[in-house]
Amino acid sequence: MALVLRFSPSSPYARKVRVAAHERGLTGRFREIASNPWAAPDDLKALNPLGKIPTLVTEDGLALYDSAVICEYLDTLGDAPRLFPPEGRARWLALRTQSLGDGVMDAAVLWRVEITQRKEQGPTPGWVERQQGAIVRALDALEREPPALAAPPDIGAIAIACALGYLDFRFGFLNWREGRPRLAEWHAAFAQRPSMIATRAKDSTG
Amino acid sequence: MKLRYSPTSPYVRKVMVVAHETGLVGRIGLVPTNVWASDTDIGRDNPLGKVPALTTDGGEVLYDSPVICEYLDSLHDGAKIFPASGGARWTALRRQALADGMLDAGILRRLESMRKEPERSASWIDRQRAAVARAMDTLEEEASNLGASVTIGHVAIGCALGWFDFRFPGDDWRQGRPTLAAWYAAFAGRPSMTKTVPKDPA
Repeated sequence: MALVLRFSPSSPYARKVRVAAHERGLTGRFREIASNPWAAPDDLKALNPLGKIPTLVTEDGLALYDSAVICEYLDTLGDAPRLFPPEGRARWLALRTQSLGDGVMDAAVLWRVEITQRKEQGPTPGWVERQQGAIVRALDALEREPPALAAPPDIGAIAIACALGYLDFRFGFLNWREGRPRLAEWHAAFAQRPSMIATRAKDSTG
Repeated sequence: MKLRYSPTSPYVRKVMVVAHETGLVGRIGLVPTNVWASDTDIGRDNPLGKVPALTTDGGEVLYDSPVICEYLDSLHDGAKIFPASGGARWTALRRQALADGMLDAGILRRLESMRKEPERSASWIDRQRAAVARAMDTLEEEASNLGASVTIGHVAIGCALGWFDFRFPGDDWRQGRPTLAAWYAAFAGRPSMTKTVPKDPA
């Protein structure tokens, strides 16, 4: 039985999983099923009651989520180099950096909800600013200390690259590269990885 | 170690419960932090502006709650909260993600409820309520397998249910979920839970 990944081609969290799978040579073991997370189908809700993607069904039939759990699970399959350092300072910093990337995605997605899901109500003053503030502070922290360009990358670098790719995809008006030359340079190099090129974000509507 | 702390945050409570369960609580200094205050300095420790954030004895800042909890679990030689590998690990991590996702949805519901008309979205509130109800139904189905052990999955579920009692006492989540209610009643009696009951600051 193949691994089944429920995903959306526009989700940065799903992209993390797909990049991790590419980096570890696991894409041949996957079947990918695209779902719209804003209208989760019943069979997705049966696998993940939160109705979220990514959700992975393992070869044993176990449904796993969220993206951090799925990525760590994929790290135990096959014999390619690991994306998660097994222990010590390297592990905690990689996990912390993953949380930073995921947190940028969280803030960006909440901001996007204001634009796409709550457009009738209109924005609440302060709410968008709160999300934008988190994104800006995270980007500034990353400019001071960009992730390493190690090969193979760790899960922290992958999460940051997917978060930045999502900003390019949905928030081009932020011009996040402005005033952040080191982070821009890091991202330009990372974005050349085949795993990143193969998973470029696109709208699920085609 | 230094923990950016709030007595109402369920994610902070997870960290505190793990700290009690692993005997590390005496090594952690609490820094009360209101991330909603206009002059908060949480951004210096966590650019995302969230609690919990832990500064280790080595001076590294760690977040979010799953990372901090696993880090704490690496600092002691007792029974581990995070199973090391295999099916036990994935079950525990998946349950943690389920419980954290319930909390994420519950907090979105609460924030939406606090918006004023006409900015409040009833459909957004319903969406979050439905996700939480489905997650609790799943936990009811799993509750007979939870047993008396303590993994990060158990801790996260306990903190999530405790938070719904705290913030949405009218929900009556126990209704129709007797097995989960019985498990929670026992788990909530652990010293790590009774010492970390959420309360609004005075």
